[in-house]
Amino acid sequence: MIPLGDTLLYASMAVSVIALVGLLVREFKDIELLNKLITPAIMLGAGLLTLSYLILTYYFVYSNFAYDYVWQYSSADLPLIYKISGTWAGQQGTYLLWVLVVYLSAAWLAWTTGHRTALSRRTQVITLLTGILLIIITLVQSPFKLIIQRPEVVDMIAKGTLPLDFVPLEGNGLNALLVNFWMTVHPPLMFIGYATMTIPFAAAIVYLLTKEDGWEELGRQWARFTWLFLGMGIAVGGVWAYLVLGWGGFWAWDPVETASFIPWLTLTGFLHAAALHRKNKATFAIAAPILAAVSFILVLYAAIVVRSGLFNSVHAFGDSSTGTLLLVFIGITTIATIALGLRRYFEETGIVEEDRGFWNKTNVFYVTLLLFVVLAFISFWGISFPAFIQLSQGLKVGVASDTKNFFNIWSYPFTIILLLALGFCLNYNEKQKEEQKKILFIVIGLSIITMFLRTENFYVLDHSSPFWVREPPLYKLIGNISVISIFPPMIYAAWSTIQRLTDYLRIKSIKPKIKGIGIAIVHFGVIFILLGAIISANFTQSMETVNIPLASKGELEPIGNGYGIKIIDFSTRSLSETANIPEGVVKISEIFNNPENYVSTDVKIGGKVTNVSIVQSAPGTYSTYIRIDDGTESLWAAAQANEPLNYPEGTELTIGGFLMTNFKSNSTGTTYPLILFSTPEQIIQGAASAGKYQVQSVRLEVYQDNNKIGSGVAEYLNSESGSGTFPLVDSSITGTDIYVIFQGLGGGTVPLSLKIIPAVNFAWIGIVLFAIGIILIMAVRSKPKNE
Amino acid sequence: MRTKKLISILVLVLILSFAYFSYKTALSNFTLSDKNSSYLGGIKFHRAAAGLEEGFQFAQQDNKPVMMYFWAIWCQYCARFQTDTLGNTQVKKILEEDYVLVAMDLDIDREVAQQYGVSYPPYLVFMDPNGKILERVPGAVEADYLLPIVTKIRDDVRRK
Repeated sequence: MIPLGDTLLYASMAVSVIALVGLLVREFKDIELLNKLITPAIMLGAGLLTLSYLILTYYFVYSNFAYDYVWQYSSADLPLIYKISGTWAGQQGTYLLWVLVVYLSAAWLAWTTGHRTALSRRTQVITLLTGILLIIITLVQSPFKLIIQRPEVVDMIAKGTLPLDFVPLEGNGLNALLVNFWMTVHPPLMFIGYATMTIPFAAAIVYLLTKEDGWEELGRQWARFTWLFLGMGIAVGGVWAYLVLGWGGFWAWDPVETASFIPWLTLTGFLHAAALHRKNKATFAIAAPILAAVSFILVLYAAIVVRSGLFNSVHAFGDSSTGTLLLVFIGITTIATIALGLRRYFEETGIVEEDRGFWNKTNVFYVTLLLFVVLAFISFWGISFPAFIQLSQGLKVGVASDTKNFFNIWSYPFTIILLLALGFCLNYNEKQKEEQKKILFIVIGLSIITMFLRTENFYVLDHSSPFWVREPPLYKLIGNISVISIFPPMIYAAWSTIQRLTDYLRIKSIKPKIKGIGIAIVHFGVIFILLGAIISANFTQSMETVNIPLASKGELEPIGNGYGIKIIDFSTRSLSETANIPEGVVKISEIFNNPENYVSTDVKIGGKVTNVSIVQSAPGTYSTYIRIDDGTESLWAAAQANEPLNYPEGTELTIGGFLMTNFKSNSTGTTYPLILFSTPEQIIQGAASAGKYQVQSVRLEVYQDNNKIGSGVAEYLNSESGSGTFPLVDSSITGTDIYVIFQGLGGGTVPLSLKIIPAVNFAWIGIVLFAIGIILIMAVRSKPKNE
Repeated sequence: MRTKKLISILVLVLILSFAYFSYKTALSNFTLSDKNSSYLGGIKFHRAAAGLEEGFQFAQQDNKPVMMYFWAIWCQYCARFQTDTLGNTQVKKILEEDYVLVAMDLDIDREVAQQYGVSYPPYLVFMDPNGKILERVPGAVEADYLLPIVTKIRDDVRRK
C-alpha cells in the first residue's frame, strides 16, 4: 500500500504534468479548455504538496513512529517546537520542503502573471520541470517510508522477532546539536533560498533560448528574495556554529557552509549584472543570465555536498544517496547553460560596441562580477578537488596544512580588490572620473604599502599556529601580508558608501530614494561583516581549558593571564515535556507511605544530594551515607567502596539498591528507620535516565583582575544521539564577547575554556544591515509590471 | 568589447593557473593517505573499522583499555588536537604504552560512528577490553584535561 503522503506526491506530479502539457500545447495551438486548466492544476499541485507537508508535521507532532523518518528524527519527549523542526532535520524532509516551496513559487507566478506572456509561460515550464524532478527525488527517499520497510526491521520480521505491524514505542531522537532555536530556523531559511532560486534560473534560461523581454524584472525580484533567504540561512548557520558548536567563531570554511556560500556569491554577481542589464539590454546580455543559471546549478551542487558522503562535515546528521539523480540534473543544466550561452555569444559577435577604453562603468562593473566569480571559484575548487582526488585516485588530501588557510590566503587579495571596486563603483561619476581614478590609485598605493607593515601578529595567516611552518612558500608569501592592508580599501569603501548615501538622501522622489538607501545599507553591511570577521579572527584570546572542582563553588578560581572564573551554581535538568520522573524510579514519599510494598526489595530513587557523611569502616573501606531529596521526601542511601564517594550537595543522582528497615549503623551510631543499600555501580550521576535529553548547566562569573567582566550560563546537552555544547556568550557594548565553553561534568570537575572574542557584534550588525537593505530595495517595486 | 574580452581571458588564465597550482600543491604537500595513520599526531593507530575487532583481541591479551579516536580530514580542530593533546609527551607516552588505539575516519567508518553515537570530530571513546564504554570525551580538549582521564582509565582497567 502506498502511504498517504506519497499518494499526495504522485497526485501533485500528475497535475503538474497536466499543467506542463497545457503550457507546451499553448506554444503551438490555443485550446481554450486546456488553457483554463493550467493555473488550477498548478494551484492544486501546490495545495497537495502543502497538504503532504502538513501530514508529515502531524506525524511528527503526534510522534507516529510507524514512519521511519519520524522515528529517526524525533522522540515523544521532545518539546513541540523540536517536534515540528524535526520535519526538516533530515534529507527526506528538506527535499519535501524544497519541492513545496518550488511549487508555491510556481503558484505565485501563475497567480501574478496569469500566464499571459510567453515569458511567464515558458518560465513556468522550466519551473514545473524542476518541480517534477524534485518530486521524483523526494519520492526516491520518501519521508513517508514506513519503519517496517527498514532493512534490519524487515530481517527481524522475517525471523519472527518483531510483529508484522511493528511500531516502535519511542523514537531515535533528534541529534542533540539540533536541539536549539537557531537550528529550527536555519534549514527552512536555506531551503526556501534554494527553492526560490528556481524562478530566476528558469527566466534566465528562457531568455537565453528566446530573448524574451522582461526576464530580468521577473528574475531580479526573485533573486533578491533568494539572496535574502540564502544569506540569512548562511548567517543563522554561522550564529549556530558560534553559539552551539563552540567553534569560537562563526565561519570555519566547513565544506557545507562553504557550499551554500558559493551560489550566494554568484547570485550577488547576478544582482550586480542585472542592475546594469536592466538599463541597457546590450550590457551583460550573456553574463547576467549565465550568472543566474550558474547560481541555480551551484545550489544543486550544494545540495549534493550537504548530504553526500564525500564532503562529510558537521552536517553529517544523516546520510543517504540521492546524489546520482541530482548529479544528472546538474549535468543537464550545465550543458544546456553552456550551449545556450555560447549560442548567444556567437549571435552577438556581429554587434560591435563602441570601445571607450577600460575606465567606464560597464567595465568596472564587469571586473566586480568577475571578482564574485573568482571568489566563488576559489571556494568551489577548495571543497571540490580533494573530493575529486579521493574519487579518482583514492587518496585523501588536504588543501593546505590547515584547511582554512587555503581559503583565507586565496580569498584575501580578491576581497581587497572587491572593496576597491566597491569604493570606485558606488561613487562612479563620468564627469569626475579623472579625479576619482586618482583617489583610487592612492588607495591602491596605501593598500600595497600597508601589506608590508610588520606587527606582532596581524597577518593573513596566523604565524604562531603550528600549521604556519608547514605551508608551502607561495602560501607563506600571501600569508605574510599584513591584514592592516584591509583598512585603506575598507575606509575607502565606507567613505564612498557615505557619499552615495548623502546623494540618495538629496533625491526628492521617494522610490529611488528608498532604493538608494537600501543599496547603501547593504554595502555598509559588507564592511561591517568583513570588519567583524577579520578582527575577531585575529584578536581572539583563548585560555587553556581549566578544570574547576564543583566543590569550590562560589570561589574565584584564577585561570591565568589575570582572568578568573567563579562557579555560582550547577544544575541539571531534563529537556522534555513529560514529568521529570525517570522510568523505574519511585517517589520517596511513596516509599514512606507504603513501606510494606518496598522493604526488602530492589528500589530506585532519584533526586538531589542534601547531606553526605563518610565513615571509614575498615582500612581501605569507606561507607558513604548520602541523603537524597526528590522534592517529595528525603531518604538515606548508603554504599561501601574502597574510596569515599564524595558527591557535593545539590548533585543530581539516581540510586538503585535494596531497601532495609530499622538499620542500626555501628559506625555512625544512628538507627535508620528506612535506608537504601546501594553499590557504587548503582549510583548514577545526573538525572541521566530522567529523559533522553539531559542538560547540565553551570552559572558562571568571569573576572579580569578581580573585576567582573561577564556572567551567564554555559550548558552541556547530553543525549543518546550525541552531545552538544552551548557556550556562555556575554556580549558587551564594545563588541567584545566573553565566551566560555563547558564540556560536561567529569569526575566532579567542571571543564571550562574561556575565550575573549572581540568585534563579533560587527558581523551580526552587518548581517542585520544586509537584511534591512535588501528588504528596502525589494519594497520599492512591490508588484511586477503588467506585461 | 575588446577590453571585456581581454579581462575575461586574463581572469580565465588566472583561475586555471590557481586551480592547477593548488591541485599540485595539495598532491605533493598535503597527501594524507598513508597506511599507518602517522599523520594522526605521530601516534600509531590501528586503522579503521577492520582494526576494531583486532584491537579488542590485543586489548584482551594484554588487559589494556581501548581508545577509539574519531577524526576527519576536514576537521581543523582535530589537527590541533592531534599535535597538542594526543601529541603531548605525557599523554602520548601513556597512550602508546598502555592503550590499544584505533582511529576511525568519520567519512569512512560511518557505521561505527553511528553505532557509538558519535556525530562530530574530534571524539574519543574509551572502552575496557570487553568493549564496555568507560568514558566519552567529545571535542578538542586540552592535554591537561585528558591526562587524568587516560591515567585513571588505565589504572581502573589494570586493577580489574
